Amino acid sequence: MSARPLDSIRVLDFGLLTAGANTSAMLADLGADVIKIESGAYLDPFRVVGKPDNDDGWWNRSPQFRFTNRNKRGLALNLKDPEGQRVIRELAGHCDVVVENFRRGVLDRAGLGYNDLSAINPRLVFAAISSQGDTGPERMNVSFGSTLDATSGIASLTGYEGEEPRISGMDVNYPDQIVSLFATGIVITAVMEARHTGKGAFLDFSQREVASFTLGEEILVAAADPARPNGRRGNREEGVAQQDAYRCKDGRWIALTLDKPDAGLEALCASHDSAAAVSALLARGIAAAICNDGNDLLRNTALQGVTLVRDERGGLVKGLPYRLGGKGISIERPGPDLGQHTSEVLRELLGYDDAQLKKLAEAGVTSTTPAVGEV
Amino acid sequence: MQTMSDDTALPLARFTILEVNDTNVPLCLRLATSLATKIAADLGADVLKIEPPGGDPVRRAPPFLPQGESALFQFLNTSKRSLVLDLASDVGRIALKGLLDKAGAVLFEEPAASAPLLRASRATPIEIAAFPVEMDAAGQPVSEFAILAMGGLLHMVGEPERKPLRLGGHQASYAAGLTAFTGLAAALAARAAGQTAPDVRVSLAEVMQWVNWKAASGADASGISPGREGKNSEFQIVPCRDGHVAVVYTATQWPATRALIGDPRLGDPRFSTRAGRRQNIAELYEIIAPWFADKTRAEIQTTAQAKGVPLGPIFSPAELLETEQYVARGFLAEMAHPKLGKLRLPQLPVQWNGRSFAPKPAPELAA
Repeated sequence: MSARPLDSIRVLDFGLLTAGANTSAMLADLGADVIKIESGAYLDPFRVVGKPDNDDGWWNRSPQFRFTNRNKRGLALNLKDPEGQRVIRELAGHCDVVVENFRRGVLDRAGLGYNDLSAINPRLVFAAISSQGDTGPERMNVSFGSTLDATSGIASLTGYEGEEPRISGMDVNYPDQIVSLFATGIVITAVMEARHTGKGAFLDFSQREVASFTLGEEILVAAADPARPNGRRGNREEGVAQQDAYRCKDGRWIALTLDKPDAGLEALCASHDSAAAVSALLARGIAAAICNDGNDLLRNTALQGVTLVRDERGGLVKGLPYRLGGKGISIERPGPDLGQHTSEVLRELLGYDDAQLKKLAEAGVTSTTPAVGEV
Repeated sequence: MQTMSDDTALPLARFTILEVNDTNVPLCLRLATSLATKIAADLGADVLKIEPPGGDPVRRAPPFLPQGESALFQFLNTSKRSLVLDLASDVGRIALKGLLDKAGAVLFEEPAASAPLLRASRATPIEIAAFPVEMDAAGQPVSEFAILAMGGLLHMVGEPERKPLRLGGHQASYAAGLTAFTGLAAALAARAAGQTAPDVRVSLAEVMQWVNWKAASGADASGISPGREGKNSEFQIVPCRDGHVAVVYTATQWPATRALIGDPRLGDPRFSTRAGRRQNIAELYEIIAPWFADKTRAEIQTTAQAKGVPLGPIFSPAELLETEQYVARGFLAEMAHPKLGKLRLPQLPVQWNGRSFAPKPAPELAA
């Protein structure tokens, strides 16, 4: 394989769910060696919320976990145990980047916060991704996906005309998705800086701020013109002559955007099947598309581009949001089983021997099974 | 609160980046390009925006400030320089080639007439397209709204029996812009390390599917696609004394949510599992909703957070300007514009060793 931008970069990944774990996944896509730290007492919640059944080994089968954590190695080390904390501090000396999205203070209390780890490794780039950021009166506030649709302003601009606001909901959790697209680029920028200056950085990301950032022009106008009417406009958009979803003869919805209003479109859609209507409208120079669902996306391999890929077990997992050097990615390893690479990594990076590994396992510092059934 | 000032080297200060705004490019692609380079410019890169005679059409796109200037343009072009070149002329193309030789990366859109020239340049090409290469559809009409439909995100919001809804803001373009920035950072890192940088191609349609991955994952796992649930969703929007609140909680936060509302009827075993709550959603909300009616968003947020329940009060962009958290972090910064006076806009959503990146006003169009 040819050189990749983050070859030789190692990531200590405490990332959970999407915001954290996906940032590390994007770093892995660029060549970084990502070692994901979980513990038997605290699994990545995606192992639990996505579990297909309760049979033995359920914690290794969640599609949502597999989607997000491919191309990583997995360690299980108990962060609450002083021995587990000691091992992680040792690992930090061999890493370039930390990614975490715990509630503020969790890593500090374990002696694993930025101050602790940068004292060991001053080149460390430490990405702290949290709901509200690391400072301010609301720094300890918790959120879950769509909480941030609400508090960021996005929900206030989403909804049927004149009706109540809407959130993206638990099957999208939109604000969690976009934070990793931004945080990854900033981490790379800080890695570049660390390579250049020898100094790491503490990167404080507020997920709510990332979501509000996407409304930059709305905030600019609101500040300059407090009287500007605001609120829900359905699918209409300022400066666009006509835009909405219309139902076709086959019952499917299509999305249309027009430069000039055309009152006849609703009737045209109602009298044609969706595919025929879209073809006819595209031929007239009108932006038109069928409103796809998940099954449509699975079937349409041309539309997928590089966004979906299969791992060696044949499981469907997340691909790339962009094409790099003309290509997508191949999956070198599926998402790890809990603690699958603990011994491998501790031997390789820290030179641990069988006796040391056995002692950690017997003390419950390392594990391959969960100590809890729910998170 | 510190701000990175001119005497502190900004992280991308070593890099020169071109943004080529050719004519006749769909606006939704331009928004992605300009967001990516805006982030780089705020981080200190020397971003030169090449505009056609008459300027980037985003200069004339809504929403508008009271003075008539485009707020969209002002947001997307902070900290950049601008140069007008007519790329239809030999003189313009020769000038562009000279600039490309000195740049680390160049951002442009797939349908641009200058795209072949830019792809072949010494600067690493970062290309913004509407659709994946596999669709071979460079000339197909496109809008952000159509992209939301294609990527399946439109299917996720609204009532199941009513039309699907778009998310507010330019989410299709801006998610692609964030992606293009990350691709740009990767390319610059490779160049700085002496590697051949990968060229980067970002399509809005791929980014939307990637963002909406749970639709594909859910459909693959069960055969049934997730979709908009509206009033059947466990998460509802409820009115309160001064607005609305999104009811959001994880499965493990249900007991805390029940305790917060404090109505004994919530102890009914029908509500003890996620499946049970969803089956009895109307009854559940008949019990939950009255608790909100006489309380303000601020009271609700404080009380809920004290119990660890992540309810989401809904704020408008105007209200965000006053929120304590944003004020404390200086997130919505004041920027002195030479012509438009004081503007307030979001800074980059990151603090780097406790410092933020103050944007500089977008460039005027050269006469």
